[in-house]
Amino acid sequence: MAYHSFLLEPISCHAWNKDRTQIALCPNNHEVHIYRKDGAKWSKVHELKEHNGQVTGIDWAPESNRLVTCGTDRNAYVWTLKGNVWKPTLVILRINRAARCVKWSPKENKFAVGSGSRLISICYFEQENDWWVCKHIKKPIRSTVLSLDWHPNNVLLAAGSCDFKCRIFSAYIKEVEERPSPTPWGSKMPFGELMFESSSSCGWVHSICFSASGARVAWVSHDSTLCLADANKKMAVASLCTETLPLLAVTFITENSLVAAGHDCYPMLFTYEESQGTLTFGGKLDVPKQSSQRGLTARERFQNLDKKASSDTANATLDTLHKNSIRRISVLTGGKANCSQFCTTGMDGGMSIWDVKSLESALKDLKIK
Amino acid sequence: RCRGDALRAFHAALRSHPVNSKNPAMKEQAQGTMLKVLTSFKSSEIEQAVNSLDRNGVDLLMKYIYKGFEKPSENSSAILLQWHEKALAVGGLGSIVRVLTA
Repeated sequence: MAYHSFLLEPISCHAWNKDRTQIALCPNNHEVHIYRKDGAKWSKVHELKEHNGQVTGIDWAPESNRLVTCGTDRNAYVWTLKGNVWKPTLVILRINRAARCVKWSPKENKFAVGSGSRLISICYFEQENDWWVCKHIKKPIRSTVLSLDWHPNNVLLAAGSCDFKCRIFSAYIKEVEERPSPTPWGSKMPFGELMFESSSSCGWVHSICFSASGARVAWVSHDSTLCLADANKKMAVASLCTETLPLLAVTFITENSLVAAGHDCYPMLFTYEESQGTLTFGGKLDVPKQSSQRGLTARERFQNLDKKASSDTANATLDTLHKNSIRRISVLTGGKANCSQFCTTGMDGGMSIWDVKSLESALKDLKIK
Repeated sequence: RCRGDALRAFHAALRSHPVNSKNPAMKEQAQGTMLKVLTSFKSSEIEQAVNSLDRNGVDLLMKYIYKGFEKPSENSSAILLQWHEKALAVGGLGSIVRVLTA
């Protein structure tokens, strides 16, 4: 496991370029910094300064190498690399609240922005006018859209919202694509069509993710639950009430396995059993350093009793790799079907790269299906 | 009064939980009943009672415990704290989060 401490401030969001040599991240301010890997070091190579508010979402299109960023200034910018300079193009989102998340579509001809305006802006490039235009998906979203993920067919979009629901919409734009063929989520997909809506959980939906095939969608909510809807089972929803603090980020690493992380500061594995329609906790994915268990002196013992009313010898410090909540997870290699490496960034300003094979051999009870 | 009665009363009280009821009187009554059952347990019996519950049962128990904390009576807090300790061991922090987000 490679851990790099970029900042003392939280990393708001991050995105990797195609060959994973560069990472773009927001250091909890109005800017985006791009770092390049130089052997074992990371050097800052670009500073993108255009937003007037905190940057809440970054996505890096692997093929076209364009960046899209969105922020609390209600704007989004598409960045293109010209020579050695990133040039921004403003995209009018027509929203009157902060933008919260942004994702390029798989074909990179559209991107979606979730915002506090309780709608999703689907943006595409209009060739004749040489600028980005957007269409809104509004109904029946009742609160801020916190997270988005595209289905591999480039049309369906999953959205997690503060109104406690996960929804799948059609974001079909006839100007840029052909009519999509039927999927297990439905056959008729006019723009804005609601293909699926979960029943209410009791918490804001922080993160949402389609599986590689697109037949499953998983989401994590603030009531410490993880849910999965399976389109091949008539959209039946499996849910798991976890024993942990709320999870903030989730991703599929195989068609049946998920990795999620959040306020407990470590990633964890979950497995979906298709035959039974159940989700189970698969284990904690952190390899804590074995700190030497030295005994407490009498003075320390008394201090413990005095301050914390506890005679516990347990450490007050975290023995996880990340020292604060993990906010984002991204798949680095292998894709969501067969992930071999994933990356986490968090409020401790650190970025960690996790190797699935190493985890499997280090944690003997781990079974990734 | 034998131990079996307390455990049976406990499960019965959990089962008759007024789900989705907006009737405050019903909820008050359920809370009162559950509090009586919880305080009737001996400290040594609590762990076994908690272990007999499934995940949803533990979540529900935690909700009742916190509701009980809201209006403490003569001895209720002491026994509720013992219930809390055992329920937390099984349900983890997640069960408390679900009390807050319910």
